[in-house]
Amino acid sequence: MSAAATTVAAAEPAALVARGLAVRRGRREVLAGVDLELRRGEVTAILGPNGAGKSTLLAALAGLVPLSAGTLERRGRLASAGQEAALARRSVRANVELALAWWGTPRGARRARAEAALAALGIDGLADRAAATLSGGEARRAHLARVLAVAPDVMLLDEPFAGLDPSVRSELLYAVSDLLRDPARATCLVVHDRAEAWALADRVVVLLSGRVVAAGPPAQVFEQPPSPEAARFLGFSGELAGGEGVLMLRPGQVTLDPAGPLLGTVARRILFEDGVRLEVEAEGGRVFAVAPPPGPEPGERVRLRAEGGVRFPR
Amino acid sequence: MSFIWEGVRKAVELLAEGNSEVLYVLGVTMRVAVFATLLALLVGLPLGLALGLGRFRGRRLGLALVNAGLALPPVVVGLVVALFLFRGAPLGGLEIIYTVEGIVLAQAILAFPIVAAFTASAVEAVPPALFDQARALGASRLQLAALALREARIGVIGATIAAFGSAVSEVGAVVLVGGNIHGQTQTLASAVLTEVAKGEYGAGIAFGILLLGLILICAGALTLFQHGGGGRERAVPRPGWRAS
Repeated sequence: MSAAATTVAAAEPAALVARGLAVRRGRREVLAGVDLELRRGEVTAILGPNGAGKSTLLAALAGLVPLSAGTLERRGRLASAGQEAALARRSVRANVELALAWWGTPRGARRARAEAALAALGIDGLADRAAATLSGGEARRAHLARVLAVAPDVMLLDEPFAGLDPSVRSELLYAVSDLLRDPARATCLVVHDRAEAWALADRVVVLLSGRVVAAGPPAQVFEQPPSPEAARFLGFSGELAGGEGVLMLRPGQVTLDPAGPLLGTVARRILFEDGVRLEVEAEGGRVFAVAPPPGPEPGERVRLRAEGGVRFPR
Repeated sequence: MSFIWEGVRKAVELLAEGNSEVLYVLGVTMRVAVFATLLALLVGLPLGLALGLGRFRGRRLGLALVNAGLALPPVVVGLVVALFLFRGAPLGGLEIIYTVEGIVLAQAILAFPIVAAFTASAVEAVPPALFDQARALGASRLQLAALALREARIGVIGATIAAFGSAVSEVGAVVLVGGNIHGQTQTLASAVLTEVAKGEYGAGIAFGILLLGLILICAGALTLFQHGGGGRERAVPRPGWRAS
């Protein structure tokens, strides 16, 4: 995998290269020292909590906000889709054709490309509908169709699934997962949770307080985050201090086991649809564990077993 | 009350007999209104678009000025335009004082702030995300302007109706710049003034009725155009959908 990536990298320079990107809002530094390469054929997901600077990073990559430091190098044309699916008061097809007109596509080629993009997103049946009558999920598809239709070299999407019902969201996620990856295009999107990054991205960039704290393939970033703060954000909520460092654990990595090596007291119990989540005060720290319902009462002494997790030196 | 009936009878009579003087006044009124509205659109639309879409210094000041322009006193505008158009004055060389062209100029000056102010507010009401998206896909300024006019068309045509209304019915500037010369620069509105001054209330009401009829027909036609296509697009609210 990494060998193949290196070959590609050697063959063709990245479509967009950002080095030491920084953006200021007044005195506050909202982005600092961001290095990022977007390659053709790859999908990069930017992940981070609210206010981490994800949308600012996307705007900076698009060249829409002034940089206070750093360089941007781009090969080819860039198109971005904003968070809001703002459509003109026309038919769905006319909206995509309008986008092609903005992009500069010759008039004669617009109809066919618009139809193709609508079909790719599964809304060719809605082509003649007025955009104002679309549901949230349909409007989002029309919004994405506009950007896909222009076939940019670099495509930036700001939270393409924001504000949708969970069911509509997963449907759309399923529909676009193949569309997003195109050998001719570098794609970068801001996503809201790890599941979206898993489903869509070849590379994940984790942004915390305007800085990149982890970057790499999803499996690597999510299973071996490089720092405690990245791990905490990525769901390693349990922490156990040991002799040589701290072990960070996801709830799914800690289970109740009468023969387990860890001893603790249940502090809280929260019901989830797939089981109960237990907050346990253990020797060396607080961990979260998953157990089948109903699970032990708060105050009960339990024995636990931990598997996996990431270890950081003190 | 008898005045009104007399006026109605007189209006019907004047129109029925095809009175050439009345038709002439009607023609002058239409010429003034149409050309002043076109001139106001020519200046007011680009200005309104710039004020509604632009992000430049002085934008708020510009908006405040065109909004103030909504309340321009016709008599004062007429006076200032007349002062500029008199022989020997800066624009005296145009020789349009006491002509229909002079009236068109004065009425256009009164009407363009109406077009600019209403266009700016109609464009501002369009979701900014749509313009951001158009810019993100490389739309030119001309394409942005076309998008804004189309999206805000109901407000823009409303602005046109208001400008036409001002141009067709104002009288202060007409009298000062045009001179209210019977058979030359008299409009329906200034004819009402003249007839009433002569004590001819019936004729005054007759001209008034003609003016109202003209306004109704033109505003009606523009309204049909404004809501062209008949049906109105309606967003169907669906549970679970929220704009983000």
